Amino acid sequence: MIQFKNFTAAFGEREVLKSMTCNLTGNSITAIIGVSGSGKTTLLRVLCRMNDRIENFHIKGNILIGGKDIFRPDNNVYSLRRKVGMIFQKPCVFPISIFDNVVFGVREVTKIPKKDYPDLAEKVLREVFLWEEVKDRLNEKATTLSQGQQQRLTLARTLAVGPDVLLMDEPTSSLDPESTAAIEKLVISLKNRHTILWVTHQHDQAHSIADRVLVLKEGQVVDLPAPIERQENPSSLEDVLYNS
Amino acid sequence: MTAITIEKVVRVFIAGITFIIIGLLVSIFSIMFIKGFPAFHDDFLFAESKDFGRAGGVFYQSAGTLILMTTAVLLSLPVALGSVLFQTEYLASGKFKTLLTQLTYLLNATPTILFGLVGYLFFGVYLDTGVSWVTGSMILAVMILPTLQVSLREAVEALPQKYREAGMALGLSRSSQIRRVILPQCFYGIVTGVLLGLARAAGETAAIMFTATTFSGIQFPQSFSDPVPTLQTHILILAQEAAHPESIAQAWGSGLVLLGLVFILTLMAWLIRTRVVMESEL
Repeated sequence: MIQFKNFTAAFGEREVLKSMTCNLTGNSITAIIGVSGSGKTTLLRVLCRMNDRIENFHIKGNILIGGKDIFRPDNNVYSLRRKVGMIFQKPCVFPISIFDNVVFGVREVTKIPKKDYPDLAEKVLREVFLWEEVKDRLNEKATTLSQGQQQRLTLARTLAVGPDVLLMDEPTSSLDPESTAAIEKLVISLKNRHTILWVTHQHDQAHSIADRVLVLKEGQVVDLPAPIERQENPSSLEDVLYNS
Repeated sequence: MTAITIEKVVRVFIAGITFIIIGLLVSIFSIMFIKGFPAFHDDFLFAESKDFGRAGGVFYQSAGTLILMTTAVLLSLPVALGSVLFQTEYLASGKFKTLLTQLTYLLNATPTILFGLVGYLFFGVYLDTGVSWVTGSMILAVMILPTLQVSLREAVEALPQKYREAGMALGLSRSSQIRRVILPQCFYGIVTGVLLGLARAAGETAAIMFTATTFSGIQFPQSFSDPVPTLQTHILILAQEAAHPESIAQAWGSGLVLLGLVFILTLMAWLIRTRVVMESEL
């Protein structure tokens, strides 16, 4: 369970999230949509405290994950990031082998013995449906993979460090339809073990994969009407998205 | 005057300036080559100098130059890299970062003779290292520190943000981030910076002339308190002996060796930097 309690995030004077209060259920997929600049990415980044080092960035209020305030001074930010993994819009693999990419975080942040790395790599690569495609080329550079494969590899790398929450910032925006479908299928398969937040611009995608769709507007979140309600009242979608 | 005419005039003006710069460089290289090449004989690079430099080669002078350059870079590199990592990875305040950057540029612009003077008073007199290759290396290390710092900072800052964020998102601590992400990804940039630092050290003369070098009497330093012969000192002393054409010829030859050394280091730095740019565009 993720709870935003009267949470405000601002860059200098400009408040991106404004006194936001909202509960997100665990082990589910929540899609977040909204116009460009509405704060979708900021919402994801505050959950793993990726904006901490931005000089004029500041917050008010609380975010609780599993009942713990993630901004408490005694909270270890590195442990938080292991538990709250983030997948970016464009896949970023390191120019090292596929295998080394998968265990990149594991080497530093877990105490898993080195002899168990191959089994772990196989497990997470199977989870992201990539094992069959790369099992014979694990020592090749990861940069030789296609964009879709690279995105699944970054997901495998994140899963290897054992996160509870997955934050996905438009992970399919740079992919072809086939790779997009593969990632969507994969994310649906992961929701039983992870709480997933998925930022997207595609409303159809949001409804097809998510248990709940939130619209971020003027720094606040509102639930998007369910598809059936939108069919009955077509103007309800526009009302939520664009009207104050 | 129409806009097109103005553009043509500006283009001709800029092209003229470019050709002047290229011309200067080509002239220097040509003169050095024409004057210096006759001094090259079979073992000019590998023979000991003889007859007070009027004959023989420049082996020990080249070795002395390399000893000073390498020691200076070895001393300067950890300090420069440490300050770069502090500035880019740990320091949060943008204003303080800017202040540090400006101070580095200021240090870079300080006349080198001042480094020599202050360096000799501090290392040579206060720390009692005397006129020795150790004193010279330490002075050179301080002198090339800003050059090295600027080159390394540029290399680290050029690292695409996506790599840093990928490491952060996996929960890497800052030290792990430096060890696993920053240093490996910036490796070629750091090597480029080191080569530029070496080239800068090779080009410095004033500060080491009276603090670290000798013209004759020493081949390789036998202790920390020995001075070393260097190409720079060799050129200066020989050039003062205008009455002896052999000395002048040897000075040109030594100059060509020094120029070649700096040219090779700069060329290597440029080639590696080109590779870094190509990789960052992948």
